[in-house]
Amino acid sequence: MKEILKLEHVDKHFGGLHVTNDVSFSVKCGQVTGLIGPNGAGKTTLMNIISGIYLQDSGKVYFDGKDVSQVPPYTRAIMGIGRTFQAPRFLQRSNIRDNLLIGSDLSENKSFVKSFFSRQNMNFETELNRYMKVAGFGIDLDDDITSLTYGQQKLLEIVRSLLAHPKLLLVDEPAAGLNSAEIENAMALLNIAADEKGIGVLLIEHSMDMVMNICKEIVVINFGKVIATGTPEEVSSNEEVIAAYLGKDELD
Amino acid sequence: MKGKLKTSTFLILLFCILFVIAVPMVFHGYSLMVVNLSLIYAITTLGISVMLGMGGQLSFAGLAFMGAGAYFIANVCTGRLGFKMATLPALLLAPVFCGILAYVLGLILLKLKGTFFTFATIALVQVSFSFFMNYRPLFGGPDGISGIPSLSIGNYSFSSNNKMFYLLVVILAVVALIVERIRVTKFGRSLASVRDNDIAALSLGVNVYMTKVKAFTLSGVLGGLAGALYAMQGNFVASDLFAYNNATQFIIMAMVGGVNNTFGSIIGSVLITVLPEVLRSLERYLQLFYGLAVIVLMVFMPMGLAGVFKQLAKRLKMKKKTSSKASEGVIK
Repeated sequence: MKEILKLEHVDKHFGGLHVTNDVSFSVKCGQVTGLIGPNGAGKTTLMNIISGIYLQDSGKVYFDGKDVSQVPPYTRAIMGIGRTFQAPRFLQRSNIRDNLLIGSDLSENKSFVKSFFSRQNMNFETELNRYMKVAGFGIDLDDDITSLTYGQQKLLEIVRSLLAHPKLLLVDEPAAGLNSAEIENAMALLNIAADEKGIGVLLIEHSMDMVMNICKEIVVINFGKVIATGTPEEVSSNEEVIAAYLGKDELD
Repeated sequence: MKGKLKTSTFLILLFCILFVIAVPMVFHGYSLMVVNLSLIYAITTLGISVMLGMGGQLSFAGLAFMGAGAYFIANVCTGRLGFKMATLPALLLAPVFCGILAYVLGLILLKLKGTFFTFATIALVQVSFSFFMNYRPLFGGPDGISGIPSLSIGNYSFSSNNKMFYLLVVILAVVALIVERIRVTKFGRSLASVRDNDIAALSLGVNVYMTKVKAFTLSGVLGGLAGALYAMQGNFVASDLFAYNNATQFIIMAMVGGVNNTFGSIIGSVLITVLPEVLRSLERYLQLFYGLAVIVLMVFMPMGLAGVFKQLAKRLKMKKKTSSKASEGVIK
């Protein structure tokens, strides 16, 4: 399968703290790749580097075969890197419609003049209806975004990113704060992304149930270093991984 | 919800029609001129509303661009520079000139963020004011520039307050419709994302910096248009209108009506311009009143009059929802 994202020797310091240390891995199209590691391992930092919010100190980021290491974040988004956030980020003062349309704007890519005169975004409602069925709750597009629960907002953020038709989707802890039914729906959405849309999904998650369930490949990092990569089976039997998660003493 | 939207548009339309019919009957001479001024100011205020309401950037610069537009007309239409332009092309050119000016200044000023940007725009107003006040060759110094011709199209001249009133209503309506439409375009949503969450904006493909520059340019264009109309309405331009304390007035206009509401911005401009004339006897307390009003606004109605109405409408809607429960779980 085609590689959509490749990191090569990515290093990032915050002051004296070495957050990511020589990180290299890749993400393939059409499957979910898990990025796991203990708290503070540098997962979200990596996500910020991939989406361009942070610039790495050294190393390269390749997206879709192109070197995007120095490309600004909005250009990366236009190229096809979508993401969600640990705590959902919406336009708090806009209604749900605008919050979702801004996602679909990316896939429509209309000029200002065209969007000024035309009724918008043709496939928006059909696509949205489809995703909302999977997300498992109803919305009134004219409501404020704040009228939704936290879990619904997190699901809606995945929907928003799907409406943008990304080639690579970075999902940061989608299950945190969700109830079990919502977690099922989140997984269903990610499965649609990977299997049906052929998107390369990079998933950060602490819920091992979710990770083992939908990830074809897993990258484990600890203290900013990749300590293991492989299938869920390989990774879960890797001693270094067990040590990182459970602590060494328990092993001895 | 569709029906509700229609009632509010209907009410606004009804109000506008009544306004257009009633004002020339009630107001004459000087007082009609004040109303005209308020409509001109409303155009500048709409520019501020685009920056502040849609984009969340507090900019005082609208007034500086209004000055630039007014002095542009004062120079090209009076023959001060050795040539004389017809009024209509000058009126169209002034916003273009101010737009270019705003674009270049925006590229520089918007490198600053948040409060720092706001302070830079205050400085811009102060600098432009001292130019207007002191540089005689272009701005006539403290005496101002007089003898500016009224707008004329063909042989028809908008020389009376009455004629000007109808023209301003038409221009303001067109500007308001454009601003209202921008709200639902991709650019409008980009601005909203810059206002509410710039990290989200970046990850959704929005070039935060250039989006702000575009909004600043738009506010420059609207300021320039208002300034040009101002010069042609009064046939005279002097620097005192473009002083800093008036810049705050425009922010208040935008906030009273509702900073993110097109119609609210217009109502705010009319209220703040016309009220002092009505309350002439209380003039010395006016600044005190404004100060108190801003505090009350910020605490009790941060989204202005429009926000209050919206809250009311929402409450009504909620009541309907709970009583019928019909709209539960339906995507509209």
